[in-house]
Amino acid sequence: MAHGEVKHDYHLVNPSPWPLIGSVAVMTTALGAVNFMKGLFGMEKGTWWLLALGFAMIIWVMIGWWREVIKEGRIGDHTPVVSIGLRYGMILFIASEVMFFVGWFWSFFEFAIYHTARAGAHWDAANPLYADALSRFKHWPPAGVETFDPFHLPLINTLVLLLSGTTVTWAHHALQHNDRNGAKIGLVFTILLGMLFTSLQAFEYSHAQFTYDGTLYGSAFFMATGFHGAHVVIGTIFLIVCLVRLMMGGMTPTKHLGFEFAAWYWHFVDVVWLFLFAFVYVTPYLVLGGGEGH
Amino acid sequence: MRHFLAALGAALFAAPAFAAIPKDGAYGMQPAATRIAERIHHFHNFLLWIIIPITLFVMILLLWVIVRHNSRANPTPRKFSHNTLIEVIWTVVPALILVAIASQSFPQLYYEDVPPNLQNVQDKAKTLLADGKSAQYEAFVKEYNPDAAAKGYVNVKIQGNQWNWTYSYPDITDDAGNSIEFISNPLQTGLPTDQPGEPRNLAVDYPMVVPAGRYIRYYTAAADVIHSFAVPSFGVKTDAIPGRLNEGWFLVDEPGVYYGQCSELCGVNHAYMPIEVVVVPQEQFDRWAQLMLTGDYDAAAASVKTIASLDQPVKYASTNH
Amino acid sequence: MPMDEVALDHHHDADHKPGFFVRWLFSTNHKDIGTLYLVFALIAGIVGYTLSGLIRWELMEPGIGPMLWIQTHFFGLEGAEAIQHAKHFYNMVITYHGLIMIFFLVMPALIGGFGNWFVPLMIGAPDMAFPRMNNISFWLTVAAFTLACISMTIPGGASGNGFAGGWVLYPPLSSTVGHPGPAMDLLILSLHTAGIASILGAINFIVTILNMRAPGMTMHKMPLFAWGILVTAVLLLLSLPVLAAALTMLLTDRNFGSQFFNPGGGGDPVMFQHLFWFFGHPEVYIMILPAFGIISHIVSTFSKKPIFGYLGMAYAMVSIGVIGFVVWAHHMYTVGMNVDLKAYFVAATMVIAVPTGIKIFSWIATMWGGSIEFKVPMLWAIGFIFLFTVGGVTGVVLANAGIDHTLHDTYYVVAHFHYVLSLGAVFGLFAGWYYWFEKMFGIKYNGMIGGLHFWLMFIGSNVLFFPQHFLGLQGMPRRYIDYADGFHTWHYWSSVGYLITLAATTVFFIGLVEAFVRRRKGVANPWGEGATTLEWTLPSPPPFHQYSELPHFTGKGGH
Ligand code: HEA
Ligand code: HEA
Ligand code: CUA
Ligand SMILES: [Cu+2]
Repeated sequence: MAHGEVKHDYHLVNPSPWPLIGSVAVMTTALGAVNFMKGLFGMEKGTWWLLALGFAMIIWVMIGWWREVIKEGRIGDHTPVVSIGLRYGMILFIASEVMFFVGWFWSFFEFAIYHTARAGAHWDAANPLYADALSRFKHWPPAGVETFDPFHLPLINTLVLLLSGTTVTWAHHALQHNDRNGAKIGLVFTILLGMLFTSLQAFEYSHAQFTYDGTLYGSAFFMATGFHGAHVVIGTIFLIVCLVRLMMGGMTPTKHLGFEFAAWYWHFVDVVWLFLFAFVYVTPYLVLGGGEGH
Repeated sequence: MRHFLAALGAALFAAPAFAAIPKDGAYGMQPAATRIAERIHHFHNFLLWIIIPITLFVMILLLWVIVRHNSRANPTPRKFSHNTLIEVIWTVVPALILVAIASQSFPQLYYEDVPPNLQNVQDKAKTLLADGKSAQYEAFVKEYNPDAAAKGYVNVKIQGNQWNWTYSYPDITDDAGNSIEFISNPLQTGLPTDQPGEPRNLAVDYPMVVPAGRYIRYYTAAADVIHSFAVPSFGVKTDAIPGRLNEGWFLVDEPGVYYGQCSELCGVNHAYMPIEVVVVPQEQFDRWAQLMLTGDYDAAAASVKTIASLDQPVKYASTNH
Repeated sequence: MPMDEVALDHHHDADHKPGFFVRWLFSTNHKDIGTLYLVFALIAGIVGYTLSGLIRWELMEPGIGPMLWIQTHFFGLEGAEAIQHAKHFYNMVITYHGLIMIFFLVMPALIGGFGNWFVPLMIGAPDMAFPRMNNISFWLTVAAFTLACISMTIPGGASGNGFAGGWVLYPPLSSTVGHPGPAMDLLILSLHTAGIASILGAINFIVTILNMRAPGMTMHKMPLFAWGILVTAVLLLLSLPVLAAALTMLLTDRNFGSQFFNPGGGGDPVMFQHLFWFFGHPEVYIMILPAFGIISHIVSTFSKKPIFGYLGMAYAMVSIGVIGFVVWAHHMYTVGMNVDLKAYFVAATMVIAVPTGIKIFSWIATMWGGSIEFKVPMLWAIGFIFLFTVGGVTGVVLANAGIDHTLHDTYYVVAHFHYVLSLGAVFGLFAGWYYWFEKMFGIKYNGMIGGLHFWLMFIGSNVLFFPQHFLGLQGMPRRYIDYADGFHTWHYWSSVGYLITLAATTVFFIGLVEAFVRRRKGVANPWGEGATTLEWTLPSPPPFHQYSELPHFTGKGGH
């Protein structure tokens, strides 16, 4: 930091308007979302502009805020000790994301493993309210729900993501050896593979024999895989930002925290997918029997 | 109504039979009407013997340091900050206390939670008697009732609705195979249309009726949101959850009227879905059931307003053999 | 002017404060943000306290009284409709009372307020690791509170505005079956917002503590308040996302037809309870661990003795945090869990009494042989130790499923958690307030007024909450607007207790105003030799930026 009298390497950040604007943005988004879902303050359900405004504000804040951070990095505020702090911060953020996924996995497992307990002797077959659910919950995935064959598209997707994990490492090594071109090519490949994953996933979704609404299996499946998909998209954007920064001459072989974080995030997304593949696609298919004929 | 109050009065004051109702200004639990509740009382008293001394101990230590180690009594502070022995003691002793609590807690939990296997109860009683282990037999029948076991379970299904209870007795059927099923509505809901009836906020139109001295197994279910079936004097509380069927059991020896209340927030009238359980001798129960099956709910309810055997002590009748 | 230039152009000096608006709205200064949090918590606390007043007013006499009066006088309703709305209103009041007290009083005050103020000061850091992120944690908390308040005023269920299903938000009462209106959706998003704020805050604290301790201050020499905040932050980081997942499922159940908690579609309402309490139980330790830290410093300061068993104290908090993650289902003994599972949760829950006991006894051992001065913070600290013990041992009673089967959802539980929260966490909060008041604001409060505040509060809150044990044992259920006549006496006394706390709170505000009007100048260390942590080496209030040259820490653990 530039202050003459300060004798430490920590980063004393200047006052910034972004937190306040960010919080107004989040509030707008929340009100907008409820407005969209239910209608608020006399506006009709389905009114979307407030929600859109909120999102736009959030994106504005993110751009403004992170531009500030990038500038600070460039003028040398990210001293070694500050960089360590930033790394800790990113790791902790990913840890909290992991716990977020724990929530989805937890519910998926409970539904998968305890469905017989919940659909078994304890169900009140005479109660019309449950009769329907009873008929569906003797099995998991429930009778009539045809799940995906994990060894078609999902397997390909697994390979796509694993491959992208290697290309991002390639890019990282290239950058560390000041091979900026190599770094760019590696990144481009990673981004393309990420987009391929998202497209394949979208294609798979469009062929699903079950839906998010109306079936428990669909809810649990789409919530887990959909949140993962959203993370893939976020990770891809993160990588694109890194690519743009590289092209604009940013980042050096020794200082490229943004790139590191994008790569960590990408690996995290990768690992989550492996869990999804193993426990949401493969295990139910092999062990519990999914789809027709089971 | 007069009969009912008389019954209630008798139940409150006559020794053997009773009604359980919250008592103003009371400090403890409602009188126990089941073996479950009796055991809970014992266990709770045991816990009081632990937690009150612990709290007093902490208080006395605090008072001690306040009096003896204040700046006037002790102007120069000592400087120690370690004492391994004392640290080990205050780690180990609480742990041992917890082990002592657990040794009572687990049996209590399993006793309450697992509906007894009635065949096993009878068999065990027979073996104990046959082996002449009378002390063990006495202890056994304090917890289990072999006579009642011989008669099997009375099954009741309890469904919580916004905001009343549906009771059904799937095993008691008429010739056409219809079983007893009725809705029990509160007499008061805080509205001007409230019907009179005592005790306020606890009385219902058609109470749940069960025979005394019989094992009751109940199942709880819910139609809309979560409710909870709770009768403090029985020591039972079981959530009624949509999409699930939970079970519980109890056995009441004393005929009487027992009250409970819905114990899971279920919407505006949560405070107004009381539970009234009338426990009557078997014959009276059978008469009630007959009337219910004919569809004459009012007559059935009237038939249990006075409890036939109020002055006959029936507690632990089975121990008299 | 583009926003980023506003910020970058104003490079300031270490002692130069920015102008009023920039300073308080765009703050990146941990002490200012701490002050903002405290002011915010004070306001939210008044709201939560007022709601609790409505509860006690209604419950003073049987029947439906004040709530009905509010419906007829303020909302112009009549007859049966007014009565139904009154019932809904009561349930809404308790719901928001619980939520506001937890999310917007205790957490912002103990973690956001004192944590921000004193973690950097105590560990010898110039500020938090991420000062700008620190500020968004604060403003998101404000946003969340605003959203919660708005949600009170928009349609909830059939009988009125706001969500009226308890702070635990159990479906199906919280799904469209029970509350079709937008209030619940907005409340969900409010809690999401509060959750994001807390997760960001937690990351900030962990990084600050791990990365910014002054040279010489190893983890095993770090002040216990910093330890408390560290453990708290880890609990927040790992438990809040699970709540967020549960809330998200609830939100999509309500709006996008998913079936997670909808029994009709095979979903399971109990699943929500598991997810909620996986967060909810760590949450209760989140509220108490910072208070544990504060009490340690106060007890040591006023006994003029180092903390007894420093390492044991630190690791007791760590183990409370760890065990706190595996006991959640003790809130669910009556949902029909498998009996062996219940037995496990009984055992795991009771284990927490051991590390907590270590803390209680170590505090007493710290006082033992000391030269205790009964200044106002010490009064609150001693009150805390005793009252927390009372709340703790009733927790151990509840931990036994065999007894909880009858006490669950009765006023016994209400008594238990107010002893650990309102007489625990809040006593810790006031202890810290009086301990650091002079340090934070540079002025002295009036000790007489502070003492009166304590004694009124001590008496009042005991009269308020002790009789609730009796109510619970007699079977008085929670969340009841009206009760059977047999519960009258103790409810009456409980409300009388509330009136005493009202007097106490009035005295508190008089003391506050008095201090700010008189402005008696504070000193760097008003407590003398006993106060050994780094914040006392700085002037009161500390400079806008402290430790431009990092202090070299040479003390021992617990100093
Ligand atoms: C600050 C918050 C806080 C704290 C610290 C605690 C601490 C504890 N709580 Fe509490 N609890 C709540 C807040 C808190 N709780 C809340 C808010 C609820 C209700 C939520 C709702 O439903 O709305 C609740 C409910 C609750 C329940 C569920 C009741 C029910 O709904 O039926 C249970 C059951 O096990 C429980 C147990 C405990 C235990 C065992 C501890 C232990 O940590 C206590 C340990 C402390 C001591 C034991 C005292 C000191 C120790 C000694 C002096 C050593 C010697 C002691 C012994 C050997 C016993 N709590
Ligand atoms: C930290 C949490 C907290 C605190 C402090 C309190 C404080 C109080 N609570 Fe409680 N309460 C809850 C958390 C809390 N509560 C929760 C979680 C529930 C369950 C909700 C549910 O069922 O869903 C509940 C429920 C609850 C009920 C049960 C309602 C029912 O089941 O029907 C009652 C009834 O009397 C009650 C009363 C009170 C009273 C009279 C006070 C207070 O008046 C006691 C006195 C406290 C003070 C005087 C402190 C005031 C503080 C300030 C003014 C701020 C100071 C700030 C700074 C210095 C920065 N509360
Ligand atoms: Cu039904 Cu509460
Ligand atoms: Cu808990």
